[in-house]
Amino acid sequence: MKESVPTAIVIDDDDAVRSSLKLLLRSVKLPVTVYASAQEFLPKYSVDQPGCLIVDVRMPGMSGLELQQQLNLRGAMIPVIFITGHGDISMAVEAMRHGAFDFLPKPFRDQDLLDRVQRALEKDAANRREIAQTERIRELFETLTPREREVLELVTSGKPNKVMAADLGVSQRTVEIHRARVMEKMHANSLAQLVRMSMDLKESAHPDSQGGRRER
Amino acid sequence: MTARNPTSVELLAILDAAVEAVILIDAHGAVEVFSRAAERLFGYAADEVVGRNVSMLMAQKDRDLHDAYMDRYARTGVPHIIGIGREVQGRRKDGSVFAAFLSVGRMADQVPARYVGFLQDLTLRDQALAAVVRERDRANRYLETIQTMLVALDTQRRVTLINRKGCEVLGCREDALVGLDWFETAVRPEDRRDAAEEFGTLLAHGTKMPFDTEYRVQAADGSVRLIAWRYVLVREPDGSVTGILCSGDDVTETRRAELEARDAREQMMHVSRLATVGEMAAGISHELNQPLAAITTYAQAARRLLIASDFRDADITDALEQIAGQALRAGEIIRRLRNLVRNRQTQRESTQINALIEELGALTRVDARMHDVRVRLDLAAVLPELELDPIQIQQVLLNLVRNAVQALEYQESAGREVSIRTALAADGDVEIRVCDTGSGVTEDMLERLFLPFATTKSDGTGLGLAISRSIIEAHKGTLEYMPNMPRGACFVIKLPVPEGPNS
Repeated sequence: MKESVPTAIVIDDDDAVRSSLKLLLRSVKLPVTVYASAQEFLPKYSVDQPGCLIVDVRMPGMSGLELQQQLNLRGAMIPVIFITGHGDISMAVEAMRHGAFDFLPKPFRDQDLLDRVQRALEKDAANRREIAQTERIRELFETLTPREREVLELVTSGKPNKVMAADLGVSQRTVEIHRARVMEKMHANSLAQLVRMSMDLKESAHPDSQGGRRER
Repeated sequence: MTARNPTSVELLAILDAAVEAVILIDAHGAVEVFSRAAERLFGYAADEVVGRNVSMLMAQKDRDLHDAYMDRYARTGVPHIIGIGREVQGRRKDGSVFAAFLSVGRMADQVPARYVGFLQDLTLRDQALAAVVRERDRANRYLETIQTMLVALDTQRRVTLINRKGCEVLGCREDALVGLDWFETAVRPEDRRDAAEEFGTLLAHGTKMPFDTEYRVQAADGSVRLIAWRYVLVREPDGSVTGILCSGDDVTETRRAELEARDAREQMMHVSRLATVGEMAAGISHELNQPLAAITTYAQAARRLLIASDFRDADITDALEQIAGQALRAGEIIRRLRNLVRNRQTQRESTQINALIEELGALTRVDARMHDVRVRLDLAAVLPELELDPIQIQQVLLNLVRNAVQALEYQESAGREVSIRTALAADGDVEIRVCDTGSGVTEDMLERLFLPFATTKSDGTGLGLAISRSIIEAHKGTLEYMPNMPRGACFVIKLPVPEGPNS
């Protein structure tokens, strides 16, 4: 699996469906790999592989839903588009509840699938950018001294310098120096940017859902 | 030894030894000799009769005639009895009257004439005759009262006898039929040729065993009855066949009831098949959606490739091939379904059970895939052809496989397997086993297993196994349950191989 090239990964036990999807995705020049089962796919998968999954819900051995749970456990956040020959609403609901990116009943229009694949790839890219961004902020944060971290906390909670000086028991001037150092170390151009960085940090420390998905 | 005249001693011995009564009379009818046999026959001693007129030995009617005969013969010489003999009525000493055969001879060269009479007792003959008449009357009463048609036909197919029931069914009198060609007269035109042909064959290759057949007769009023016939050949003591006795039972109503019952049963089977297909709806839509998804995706991909003018020919031809193949795959499923739900009459066909099972794969896969179960076929290499209704047997197999698949629902996915095995059993029957490795049948369910409405499934009708067994039994086979080893259930169908020229 070539890293860094976003790839559509098809997992379907039906030979004809699998090969037809491969041809369709190739026709729009999307890199594509196919697997006949979840068991075949899992050992070859690396979380660093960007892309999206197109998975049949019901397969012998490990079902699509079971695969999704496995991926969740590994912290993989690759978007999963489920396809199914059963127009089964309850299954669709369950898949979405477990964080499926989308759900498409067979047979489908090529454009419907390609649109979803496109959106899933964008979503994956965004996720990956977000992760990379958070990683960078964390690295910068690690360079702050304990006192500077305190100042960051107070600044981003909206306290004026005078109040901070009182809280910390230092002079207002000292607060201003710390504050300038924090802005410099965090590569922040404005208070607003610093606030957003701080929020990102808090969020990544307490993610509100596995894989950090907040939107579609 | 030269001939000589017997002595008088010898003549007396002959006289006494004769079984017939011998009486000599003179020209006036006076008795001269009265033999021992005569004494036994009439109950008189000889000396009670000798010298008296012979008419004392006759009943009143003959007594009157006798004198007139004697008189006329004396006058005209025309004999009425001499050399001819006739039946007369004798009168015993006790007054009782009996039948006897009297032959009279005139003694040669005796003037005045003397006569000798020989009397043969006919009492036994009359008794025997009376017994025969009684038997005949009784037989006739039987013939007339039994509720079975009896028709006797000669070798020319003509009616020689028909009983009352026969006449009743045909609505005509006995004399209207006797002498007529039975098949042309009474048998329904549609059945006439076959019935007559059968009759001819039976006459030609006569058998000692009764022969059973069935054809329709047509009554005088045009109504038609279906009769089950039994033929028995009628033979002379020398063994030659003189005709056929046919006994027939009117089975019109029975057969109609049977047909209605069969129709009802077929209707039920059909409804049950529809119910099965209904239960399979989700699986069927999946089985159809798979090829449809492949077809649409191939077609759309091919279209994109063509528009982009960036393709290898092999991609397009491969896609088209796949499209055709997948369309056939979908069509096959629909065809199997259509066959299964078609409302049709039972029809037996010579069938290879292995081929039937392989064909059924399109449908058994539906449930198997739904439940992530593998269906393994283990088919005997060579099996004799069976005479059966393919759709009904498929219905049974589908039902058994679906049961087996559902029994595996709570099983580890790795071990989910249903096997269908065919084999030739030791007794020559063809055996089909459908086995699973589920939890088997519980002890308390075992008794009710094949009863209608016995079910452990929330969505089952409880008719599946009951109908399956009735189908197999209608094929003269058996359907039994036995535990599968080491675990699970096994249903064993045994079907008889038809006896044919090949077997």
